[in-house]
Amino acid sequence: MFRNLFKYEFLSDIRQKDVIFWMMCFPIILSTFFHLAFGNLYEKDEMFAEIPVAVVEEKSDEAFRTVMEQLSTGDSPLFTVQYTDREEAMELLEKKKISGIIYVGDELSMAVSGKGIIPTIIRSFLEQYTSQKEIIVEIAMNAPDKLPAVIDALSAEIDCIETKELSSGNMDEYAAYFQNLIAMVALFGTTSGIFAATSNQGNLSAIGARKCVSPVHKLKAIIVKLAASICVQSLCTFISISYILFILRIDMGDKIPMIYLSGILGSVLGVSLGFFIGSATSASESAKMGMTMGISMTSCFLSGLMVGNMKAVIEEKCPVINVFNPASIISDLFYCLSIYDDYTRYIERAVLLLIMSAVFAAGGFLMTRRKKYASI
Amino acid sequence: MAKTIVKIENLVKRYKELIALDHFSLEIKEGEVFGLLGPNGSGKTTAINCLLSLLTFDKGTIEVFGEEMAPDNYKVKGQIGVIMQNVAVFDELTVYENIDYFCGLYIKDKTLRKKYVQEAIEFVGLENFTKFYPKKLSGGLLRRLNIACGIAHKPKLIILDEPTVAVDPQSRNRILEGIQELNRQGATIIYTSHYMEEVEQICTRIAIIDKGKNLAIGTKDELKKLIRNTETITIEVLDIPEEAVTAINGLEHVYETSFEDGRLTIRCSGGRHNLIRVLGVLSDREIPFGRVYSEQPTLNDVFLEVTGKELRDTEGK
Repeated sequence: MFRNLFKYEFLSDIRQKDVIFWMMCFPIILSTFFHLAFGNLYEKDEMFAEIPVAVVEEKSDEAFRTVMEQLSTGDSPLFTVQYTDREEAMELLEKKKISGIIYVGDELSMAVSGKGIIPTIIRSFLEQYTSQKEIIVEIAMNAPDKLPAVIDALSAEIDCIETKELSSGNMDEYAAYFQNLIAMVALFGTTSGIFAATSNQGNLSAIGARKCVSPVHKLKAIIVKLAASICVQSLCTFISISYILFILRIDMGDKIPMIYLSGILGSVLGVSLGFFIGSATSASESAKMGMTMGISMTSCFLSGLMVGNMKAVIEEKCPVINVFNPASIISDLFYCLSIYDDYTRYIERAVLLLIMSAVFAAGGFLMTRRKKYASI
Repeated sequence: MAKTIVKIENLVKRYKELIALDHFSLEIKEGEVFGLLGPNGSGKTTAINCLLSLLTFDKGTIEVFGEEMAPDNYKVKGQIGVIMQNVAVFDELTVYENIDYFCGLYIKDKTLRKKYVQEAIEFVGLENFTKFYPKKLSGGLLRRLNIACGIAHKPKLIILDEPTVAVDPQSRNRILEGIQELNRQGATIIYTSHYMEEVEQICTRIAIIDKGKNLAIGTKDELKKLIRNTETITIEVLDIPEEAVTAINGLEHVYETSFEDGRLTIRCSGGRHNLIRVLGVLSDREIPFGRVYSEQPTLNDVFLEVTGKELRDTEGK
């Protein structure tokens, strides 16, 4: 019986053209647009090879000037440097024509806009330079021919600082957009969850009424429907991930099976969240759809789908939102796979996700299980 | 003596201030085609939903197959087939798949289910549409699919809630014949409708329900005997003097005579040859007349007398 019911629930879900469009076609279209729009901007080489900075010399420092010249020339320069006054530098920074300002005075200081890897590189460079300034000055005075080798070593150390945080993956904002996009696809499962709820409620749908008067236990009917919805949703997420990884060739690390697993986990969360919302309210199906879309899109917004650094802002202002925001949890799974070599943090997030899914599903069932209705 | 299949006693259902069922009682025996006749909002569907344990109710008891009906009485539920007022099928599944799905809610055995599904398809005449999706079906075919989904598992009790709403005459006849065939095969039928001709055509016993109350119950003949009217004579006349109307009204067994829009209507209570005597009055006075009709009382007459209003007035067919 289970197999027969599952087969038809699966078929009825996967044949819903509008749902399939939103869960499969829309993410493919959106990811293609992301790729076309941001692909060149976020090319890794450009991102890390040349960081535009302005240098404001409040005091002359020949050694620093020499080092900056070395680092802004050659095959793979680290910086592109403009020497300006303070006002002009601020103006350039505000217009985002440069990523940071280095002030050369009694001490080196810097100003940057925003957070991320580039400010970290500039800061690391300044720290390295400050700690090794004496050596650089001495070599410049006594053995100037060896200065390029010293600067190369300095540059290499900065690279190490930069890459030490990475792993085999990619933590740039570009990949993060796609991670959030996959999270959004998974959260579109809320739509399937709504169907799962309404199609088992006798007061909300004719099919629900017909199921309610049949001899099939309600829990069994709900489990079959949820299982079918999760399978359809996982399939859609699977296709979206495959498109992003293998057609658009977005670098999300080399843990490919785990990326797919994360998509499935996200789908489980999406469907169970939708089922909970669908069961919790007695509003019409369209009202529930609107509600879930609103919740999903807000969740995706807070996780950074629309504004790249939103997650960082939330982390600073109200970190608890990131802990329980479904889209953040799902995108975190991909982030963990990209950033960390071990699975400790990944497992933490995955367990939290499964607990939330179980709570949503159980809560939904408890609210749906009432077998008689006051009105139909 | 036939077994009691459904027994409802003193059922009360309130929607806030509105009393949808007011101490509603009825008993349905095995093998009956039982009609629930009443206008929209009279409480028919509410009674059915209470019977199916879909709705809570405030007072009363419901027994089906001798057992108290409850949401978790799966044994009883397994013997009931329901055809809802609203078509309840999956738009994304074909005709065959829909019937197989709903039959699968009741029948576990795959081979038996396949046989039942095939029989249901043949029963409703959808052999040529098995691969069609519901949206491609006409209203009548869709209703037939709805019926097939409800009866494929061969239930002992079949409840049809207004199954012919918005159905073409051809499909309606097919549906009504099908219901009678199901009854011949042994199923007990509960049929709700506000179309009295249908109820009159297929039901062996009828309950007239209005404002949540069971006003009258019995066979067609029993119901008709409840009322005064036994014959309604209608004669087309251009004009008739008041004296002639009075004379007709004074005839034995005639209890009401009216003239309106060129139609003389005479209602009789009992007696034979009423028509001949009425025509005699007209001939004696040389009053020309056109077509003449003599009708036996209908359920509408019964409904009119029992409720004080015409079923036809409230429900256009």
